[in-house]
Amino acid sequence: MSHPASLPDLLVGLHFLGGSARSWEPVAAHLATPCLALDLPGFGAAADIAGFDVAAMADHVAARIAAAAPGRFALAGHSMGAKVALALARRAEDGDPALRGLARLVLVAGSPPSPEPIPEDRRAAMLAWIDADPATRAQEARAFIRQNVGAPLAPEAEEDAAVADVLRAAPAAWRAWIESGANEDWCARVGVLRTPALILAGSEDADLGPVAQRALTVPHLAHHRIAVLDGAGHLLPLERPEAVAGLIAEHLAADDPAPSPPPEIPAAYAALIASERVNPRLRAVLTERAQPDDPAYAPTFLDPVELALLRAVVARVVPRAGFDIATRLDARLASGASDGWRFAALPPDGEAYRAGLRSLDAASREEGTPFLARDGAGQDALLKAAQAGRLTVPAMDRPGLDAERLCLWFEDLRADAVRSYLAHPIALARMGFSGIGAGGTGETDADGLAKGLPGFARASGPPEPWEPRAVIREVEDPVR
Amino acid sequence: MRLDHQRRYAEDEVVDAVVIGTGAGGAPVLARLAAAGLKVVALEAGPNFEPAAFAFDETLADEIYWTEERLSGGSTPEAFGANNSGTGVGGSTLHWGAFVPRPDRRDFALRTETGEGCDWPLTLDDLLPFYARVEDFIGVSGAPDYPWDPGRRYPLPPVPRNGPAEIMALACGRTGLRAADAPAAVVSRDFQQADGPARAACIQCGYCHQGCRTGAKTSMDVTYLPYAVRHGAEIRPESVVHGLERDRIGRITAVIYRSGGVDRRQACGAVYLCAGAVETPRLLLNLGLANGSGQVGRNYMGHVATQVWGSFPDEIRMNRGYPSALITEDMVRPEGADFAGGYLVQSLGVQPLTLANAVARSRGLWGEALHACLAGYNHLAGIGINGETLPCDENRLTLVDETDALGLAKARVSFGYGENERRLNAHATALMTDLWKAAGAADIWVLERVAHTIGTCRMGRDGDSAVVDPYGRSFEIDNLWISDGSTFPSSLAANPALTIMALGLRSAEAFLKRD
Repeated sequence: MSHPASLPDLLVGLHFLGGSARSWEPVAAHLATPCLALDLPGFGAAADIAGFDVAAMADHVAARIAAAAPGRFALAGHSMGAKVALALARRAEDGDPALRGLARLVLVAGSPPSPEPIPEDRRAAMLAWIDADPATRAQEARAFIRQNVGAPLAPEAEEDAAVADVLRAAPAAWRAWIESGANEDWCARVGVLRTPALILAGSEDADLGPVAQRALTVPHLAHHRIAVLDGAGHLLPLERPEAVAGLIAEHLAADDPAPSPPPEIPAAYAALIASERVNPRLRAVLTERAQPDDPAYAPTFLDPVELALLRAVVARVVPRAGFDIATRLDARLASGASDGWRFAALPPDGEAYRAGLRSLDAASREEGTPFLARDGAGQDALLKAAQAGRLTVPAMDRPGLDAERLCLWFEDLRADAVRSYLAHPIALARMGFSGIGAGGTGETDADGLAKGLPGFARASGPPEPWEPRAVIREVEDPVR
Repeated sequence: MRLDHQRRYAEDEVVDAVVIGTGAGGAPVLARLAAAGLKVVALEAGPNFEPAAFAFDETLADEIYWTEERLSGGSTPEAFGANNSGTGVGGSTLHWGAFVPRPDRRDFALRTETGEGCDWPLTLDDLLPFYARVEDFIGVSGAPDYPWDPGRRYPLPPVPRNGPAEIMALACGRTGLRAADAPAAVVSRDFQQADGPARAACIQCGYCHQGCRTGAKTSMDVTYLPYAVRHGAEIRPESVVHGLERDRIGRITAVIYRSGGVDRRQACGAVYLCAGAVETPRLLLNLGLANGSGQVGRNYMGHVATQVWGSFPDEIRMNRGYPSALITEDMVRPEGADFAGGYLVQSLGVQPLTLANAVARSRGLWGEALHACLAGYNHLAGIGINGETLPCDENRLTLVDETDALGLAKARVSFGYGENERRLNAHATALMTDLWKAAGAADIWVLERVAHTIGTCRMGRDGDSAVVDPYGRSFEIDNLWISDGSTFPSSLAANPALTIMALGLRSAEAFLKRD
């Protein structure tokens, strides 16, 4: 484990829809790290500044951070602010000099990079009163705050201040977020972030609670931890400032994440691979396949949510793999490589994967929980139904697969997953597979034929002394 | 294979024949025509490999499989790619199993015998001399006394039995079936290939399907193709044919192919289309040629190739040795069968990914059950069949709207078992399950599988009902010949490659005598 080079010397805080810089004050009061809370365009003291889409808000924040010129800093976004924070984190990781010091992310009840799942009636209601008469506005603003907390804010002055912030917001900014900002699709643009992130979620948050975070935000974070605040709603910095501050402080002080090691090839098998019995071309490719995975692998064909879905499915199909098969499948899909055929009932491989993963998730949501928020048994139940051709897929706003095609696609996926698994030397080592050792280098004659290869001394009967044994018991952690 | 000293022909030189494809259909033709002094050029879509560089790895072996996408439909969709379709100089023989039983005499006249299927426009006797010539030339190892054909003699003694072969022998012994060392086109002794390389005896590495590094396994690039080059043929790898030029009366005058990103044109007096039962009809349908009979693409067949697997207490390590070293032909006409034709039974060993693919796809295992099955790899042994498939109207190859990189429409192959195949399959599954029980197997499971690519340009006696005559010559374009598995009118129970080679030689000799 390595410690961070130094603790962040600044926490930059971005507020929720209707909030302001002031929303972070209760948290800042409990933090040792200085906090630079900013007003986003259209809110708080920036109510008269325009530029309400995510990119414009990110520009605004980037300029303020550049002006503050922090050394190492953490970026915390609450709800709407979290989406802006994710956009900025992508800029930072892509080398934006103004954001060079970004060391930690904090996403508080964050709006995800993908379009935010706000029920249509609530969306309509929020748009209806923002331009109404002052009395209605005051009443609805208070109702808005109350709808978004797990328990009434205390002291009452806290609620009054929050209501005042809502009323201070530029109606145009309010509308812009609800009508478009929340719907902007940043899924592919945010990609997979390397910056260690803390996700905070309130157990009573209807739309952006732990389930939504697992389904839509976690896929973008190579290193993350989720903390759920029991009984809390959506306005965590106002509801639980001390707990939020404590979790943030812990996160800022935590070690940098250690790279997860690739599965360790048993010594005897590693020795076989290194020996003269294995030909150099095979040795090179086995070594290459055993290289550690990049936890922040940027998918080249799927989007990050689809990659996370694929990872989750593959983890049920080949639970003991110990390395990241999903990234290998994504790379293969991107390459356009074919195995020479596909079921005529399915679209081309890449389309089938996208449609299959999204259909699986849609069917899962139809039963109440996104696929990524299910436990292993819950995921297995769905995959068994898919395998049996009886998983009902609801209508979707993008191409999907019906039950019959989902069954075929899941068959393809299983085949692709085991293909990737068995390419890795750990899989061959576990089964005690001796075939790789039958070759060696030998010499190549004038006709291009290999001479002097050892082969097997006998085709049947007990193994030769050099042949590896199967690994009887796994001691490693069967995660991923 | 070595091509550096081969003879070269100019593209505007009218060669006697261009052979499209260098697999089991094209290579014997190329060799026979070259030996007769004809000017012949072979165009091979895939690359030229150096066998020593194959790597004993099922993923790297992708390089020898035909991986251009095909669409597989019907009630029993067949897998292509590694299952049955090759690429490279040598074609599918680079990865084939080299299992070379001769067909049964009765299979050529199934309709006369049973009223089902169809008769071939030739008999076993027409082919016997060619089978013997092929076996002697490529070096077939087999039982000294073949129980089902007492007079037959193979040029080489059998390859050693591996674990699954020993188990099958035991099981056959216990159930009263005859079994014998299988005819394998793998040299069990050092073998000097006629006008070709010195092929050392098989080292029992078990990687027949991933490319033989030593040349012990027969593939066209160590047998007929070096012979052809020695006799003046030219082989052009990475040359994908996509057009045929014709004169005013419809005869072919040149072949258009893409090589190195540019289109080239080879002038020729005749064309041998030897691209296999998918690519041959696909090219003809794309070009709209030689299909006056309406038969191009029809009667596609794959063999019923169901396997039964089981786990044994001792380590089998089925990756060792020639994979299919034992055969029984006792089921070529099973007593009391409720189906036409019959099937061959063979022992099976497969490499890990081939097994895992079957386990994940057909057995449907995943999760801990998949890991448990794979962990038992060293204890597994299999037994499988190659069974008659009757020609059928619904089973056909057509073109779809999607195109490949050259703009040619992709093929959709629709294949499904009929009642005869279902009955044969049920019979074989019960038999193999009983055999594996008799051998003491635990955890027995059945893998439904379809093998080989057959039919789509059937041979026959007239141009109304067939694409080519019994020698492979098109009824419609008299300088177009076909030599590959596409010309089979019915599947035969035997694996097809030996017959493809024999038909190729026979066709080439007819070509030499043509008017």
